[in-house]
Amino acid sequence: MENKKFIISSEDEQYFGKMGSFGIPKFDKIMNGGVPRGFTILALTDPGSGAELFAKQFLSPCEEPENTVYISTNETSQEIMQVYDKYNWLNELQIISIGSEYNTRVLGKELQASKFRLEGFNMNDIQRLSQTRFVDDETEDFLTEMANSVIERGPFFRCAVENLDFFFQRYEESRVISMLRMMQAHTQMARGILLLCVSTDSLDTSIEKEMSSLADMVLTFGVHMIGSEFETRMIVRKFRNAPENLSVMSYRVTPEEGITPETVQRIA
Amino acid sequence: MKSSASYVRDRCVTGIHGLDEILRGGIPYGSTVLAAGSCGCGKTTLGLEFLVRGAENGEACAHFTATEPSVKLLDNVRQFDFFDMKMVDKGLINVFDMDVLYSWLGLTKATFDLSDIHALIKAITDIVNTIGVTRLVIDSVTTLCYKIQSEQLIRDFLFTLGKKLSTLGCTTILISEITSEKSRVNMWSSFGVEEAISDGIIVLGDVERMGHLLRFLQVVKMRGTSHSRAKYAVELTSIGVMLTPMLKWGSSN
Repeated sequence: MENKKFIISSEDEQYFGKMGSFGIPKFDKIMNGGVPRGFTILALTDPGSGAELFAKQFLSPCEEPENTVYISTNETSQEIMQVYDKYNWLNELQIISIGSEYNTRVLGKELQASKFRLEGFNMNDIQRLSQTRFVDDETEDFLTEMANSVIERGPFFRCAVENLDFFFQRYEESRVISMLRMMQAHTQMARGILLLCVSTDSLDTSIEKEMSSLADMVLTFGVHMIGSEFETRMIVRKFRNAPENLSVMSYRVTPEEGITPETVQRIA
Repeated sequence: MKSSASYVRDRCVTGIHGLDEILRGGIPYGSTVLAAGSCGCGKTTLGLEFLVRGAENGEACAHFTATEPSVKLLDNVRQFDFFDMKMVDKGLINVFDMDVLYSWLGLTKATFDLSDIHALIKAITDIVNTIGVTRLVIDSVTTLCYKIQSEQLIRDFLFTLGKKLSTLGCTTILISEITSEKSRVNMWSSFGVEEAISDGIIVLGDVERMGHLLRFLQVVKMRGTSHSRAKYAVELTSIGVMLTPMLKWGSSN
């Protein structure tokens, strides 16, 4: 992973502007114009809070389809596309389904190994085995793969990783953090916008603090019980250099617009 | 029923020049024989020729290589006139790369536990049973056992493997790497348990005679047959291993 220096043309600068959209016009307005280019956004999410939809909606502006990438650890490309089609969002973005890759490359091998261990080898297997001279030593480092997918993006890229739990469950926390730092540095340099989603439950407090400090903006997505009803709430806990944007807002999911903010309460 | 005096157990004729004479006809069928020696003394060649001679008689043979990649092994063995690659192509000699087998069985950990060992035994016996292997070489059992932590597990592994292979009528050579220091004190295995579970022990090593470093072979133990316990000089020629009585080379040492 090398540090690239970007030459950003004034034309591009003019085209993309200083701010990008969150993909939610009302939220852009609440945030006084959108998200500054170069920002890494951390979304701490509760299950059922709609953060997956937020991640997809965040990429819906898709200024440059080849430079817009959705990295999913849970859903297949097909499932993701269905959501884009449902909301009529531009669906030409790049999708990397690490979950599917993991199922094929790791779980597939493990399943095959279990079958061999349980049922043994048949004649065909034995013939193949005796003709196989090399171990398929493809390294299954999905963390590096994810980081590379971000770091190789050119200027003004837009990327969402949904979600990081997969990596925290499989790799050392310090390694994940170190990769995230590289991604954050690249995002800043390339004037990209990076959204990192992670479940609140999967993080230790110290890791959450470390991640919050490396991010330029921190959002929490939660589901709260109000009386006999659920309310979905987003809190903007950190917004670098714009504390006036810190706020609590309730939102709902509509079939027309996806995540739609309703009430807003300013914190600062 | 034959009387004990006239009973002769069926033999697996090794076909190696001089060895069958030492063993009074060959290795008793179904035996597990440890071929122990330091590096460069001809263990792998001995094992391969054992398989080649079987394949020449139409027997199904298998070689499990753990010390060197199968590609390298096959490349090295091409130099010998006694080896014909067609035997591999026709499936008479089946060469299995242990690293590939480990990978297929998901044995990617640095050390094996009991269930891993059972999986490995099952895989080897499956292969022997399915192809009908009558001659098997594992090169080397030392490399394989490095992945097994406890002496007890090594003992269980070798004992179970030997027993199963014997039931299947397979004559097995387990190649064991030992240092020359160990052979000097009559230790024929790296872990001290291989020799105890083996039916036979063939020792290969180097001996200095009149300024020459000679390879030698000695059958230390072979259950089910009488045999010579003398040392024989080993020559690795392109047509195979040649054994000649050591006396021929003088006795200055």
